Amino acid sequence: MNSQTIDKTALITLVGSPNAGKTTLFNHLSGRNFKTVNYPGATVEYSVSPLLGKFNLNANLLDSPGIISLTPHSPDEEVAVRSLFSHPVFGEPDLLIVAVDVSQLSRHLFLVKQLQQCNFRVVIALTMTDILLKKGFSISPGELGEELKCDVVKIDGRTGKGVTELIDACSANLEKIKTDGKKEIVPFPGHDNEHLIESYKEIETICDRVLKEIPEEKEKINLKRANARLSILHPDPLAKKNCYQVDKRTLKIDRILLHKFWGLIIFFLIMALTFTSIFWVAQPVMDFVSNIFGFLADEALVIIGNNWLGDFISTGLITGVGSVMVFVPQIMILFLILGLLEDSGYLARGAMLIDRPLSKIGLNGKSFVPMLSGFACAIPAMMAARTIPNKRERFLTIFIIPLLSCSARLPIYALLLAFLFPGNMAWVAGLVLAGIYIFSITNSVVIAAIINKFSKRIINQEDNSSFILELPAYRAPKLKVVYNNMITSARSYLKKAGPVILVLSVAIWILTYFPNYNPKVDAQNHTQDEIVQMKNAERLADSYAADMGKLIQPVMKPIGMDWRVGVSLIAAFTAREVFVSSLALIFKVTGEGDTLQNSMVRAMNDARIEDTGQKLFTPATIAGLIVFFLFALQCLSTVAVSRKETGGWRIPVLQLIIFTSMAYMLTFITVNGLRALGVA
Amino acid sequence: MKTASQLQYGEKVKIDNIDCNHPSSRRIIEIGFTPGQEIELVNKSVFNDPLAFSVRGTVIAIRKNEADCIQVK
Repeated sequence: MNSQTIDKTALITLVGSPNAGKTTLFNHLSGRNFKTVNYPGATVEYSVSPLLGKFNLNANLLDSPGIISLTPHSPDEEVAVRSLFSHPVFGEPDLLIVAVDVSQLSRHLFLVKQLQQCNFRVVIALTMTDILLKKGFSISPGELGEELKCDVVKIDGRTGKGVTELIDACSANLEKIKTDGKKEIVPFPGHDNEHLIESYKEIETICDRVLKEIPEEKEKINLKRANARLSILHPDPLAKKNCYQVDKRTLKIDRILLHKFWGLIIFFLIMALTFTSIFWVAQPVMDFVSNIFGFLADEALVIIGNNWLGDFISTGLITGVGSVMVFVPQIMILFLILGLLEDSGYLARGAMLIDRPLSKIGLNGKSFVPMLSGFACAIPAMMAARTIPNKRERFLTIFIIPLLSCSARLPIYALLLAFLFPGNMAWVAGLVLAGIYIFSITNSVVIAAIINKFSKRIINQEDNSSFILELPAYRAPKLKVVYNNMITSARSYLKKAGPVILVLSVAIWILTYFPNYNPKVDAQNHTQDEIVQMKNAERLADSYAADMGKLIQPVMKPIGMDWRVGVSLIAAFTAREVFVSSLALIFKVTGEGDTLQNSMVRAMNDARIEDTGQKLFTPATIAGLIVFFLFALQCLSTVAVSRKETGGWRIPVLQLIIFTSMAYMLTFITVNGLRALGVA
Repeated sequence: MKTASQLQYGEKVKIDNIDCNHPSSRRIIEIGFTPGQEIELVNKSVFNDPLAFSVRGTVIAIRKNEADCIQVK
């Protein structure tokens, strides 16, 4: 073996305030495309990647969440600061690249100063230099570097210009560490307010020295040229130039989007559009996917034959998995819209708009993003709640998140609504789905208000409730970033749900197919189809699932359902989507030349309660099931994350008991109430 | 003493002092509200709370009661 000393791979951490252009820089350096987060403090996951091969530098690059200072104010900042000093996996960084937005130089240098006080070796990457130029100012990286005694490089986020220089500076710094040794990193002393103000004063003098106004002459020529081209009015020549002028366009847009009247209207329109498009836009794609799986299930039976293997492949695997795959388009559309709202900068405005109403019920404007993500999936939503500084508001947000209608419930609602409103009534289904979403929001808000009212005593009143949020400048969403985000989210949804569904599909298939897998039926005077039907029914009635189901029959009876629905509901406690696939298995749904969803609806129409012969699925029981899924906490992963995020079992256990018993009671009331009113 | 919460739309003022007894004062300073800085009330949310100020080249939304700890000239 070669005895040459092998250098340890260096660790470079990318640090910066929120919206400093950190993630764009990360993409340039690593070549992999990651999410640029426009909402301050929303990055909770770390992206790490080796530097691109072309840079010829053996180092790992770690992207860290945006921070404002080294004194954390919320759990996400706490994690960010702690892992900056010593990341649990990667350890202490050798070098920091700090992204500094030059259009907000003083605010961003504030963090640089604190990092230097802790003896971190830093290289500064100046971003948004084009914005500074537009304001008529320039900056000299060399002078700033002298002031701060570190290397400073200008970066163009769009073209990636300057990245090579940045890498050169990093290599030089890493070399220096090798020869001079590394300074010991000390914890941040935690200054008082006086110190902080002093620190800003120092930074201001530095800024005054390094920010230079571009001489009038040159600018006048530029202006003349611009005016000639655009024929706009000459701006007031007396207006004093200000390098800290905020984006005027953004202020104008905000005048409308934060308007007392129009702001609210637009807010509700955006929310309504989001939820309706999940249903309507996705429908054609869903039909397409549904057709494919229906066709495959049919073909499998034809090719393999109507024996146990054919049945296993056709219903156990294809139908089971297909019934969930059908909903991927809807999930992708939801993530697409969320991504667009986030990347354009609207989410921060949404948070600001509803801070006041939410604070009335013990939540915070910062609960908005977690709640909105709750419509996709409760797991990232609970993690996003880390941005809420106040513990009590954070716990309350986590508490109500399972009530928001997550995407896993879409397959169930879609199926149940397709049953209620078949064929040309589909538009009603869309409206009712929108209604379900509104209802789930109302629920969560009302329950938050009730809990807030009753839990006052448990809560530490000294906890300061706070809402301080940067409103980033509006920008056109980067479609590539949004697209990647959508694909990643859909993939991680499938990764999370896929194996569970596959395993449970197989398990339920076995439970419903055995032990009497080849039942004897009276074949006389019956067509081939009828014999298959009778065999299916006989086999299921003798199956293990039926034995288990009979145990829960007493619980299901009061809510107008039988053991078959009960088995599906229990299976759905692992993950809600499983409900649909297990119904498909239990009712032996095959494509039969139709879409999967249509054949499921047909099978449900034919289903009867065994001892009474009544129809199993009626408008009343379907409404009851919808109510059940609105409230019940049926997701093991959610329980696990809730425990992790709240640091104990109290909240998840309360959630499980309260929401599930509520679900059962309200389903009971709905089904029996509707029946009393004459709705079967 | 006038505070930032009493500003009108578009009113530009200089910060005089930050009330350090307010529990949010530390974050308010860290985010850039320090004595001598010029701020402008650029937007109000529905119900007039929170308020959005331009400071040091960006826009920061804070609640009315937090704006109260920013004393202005």
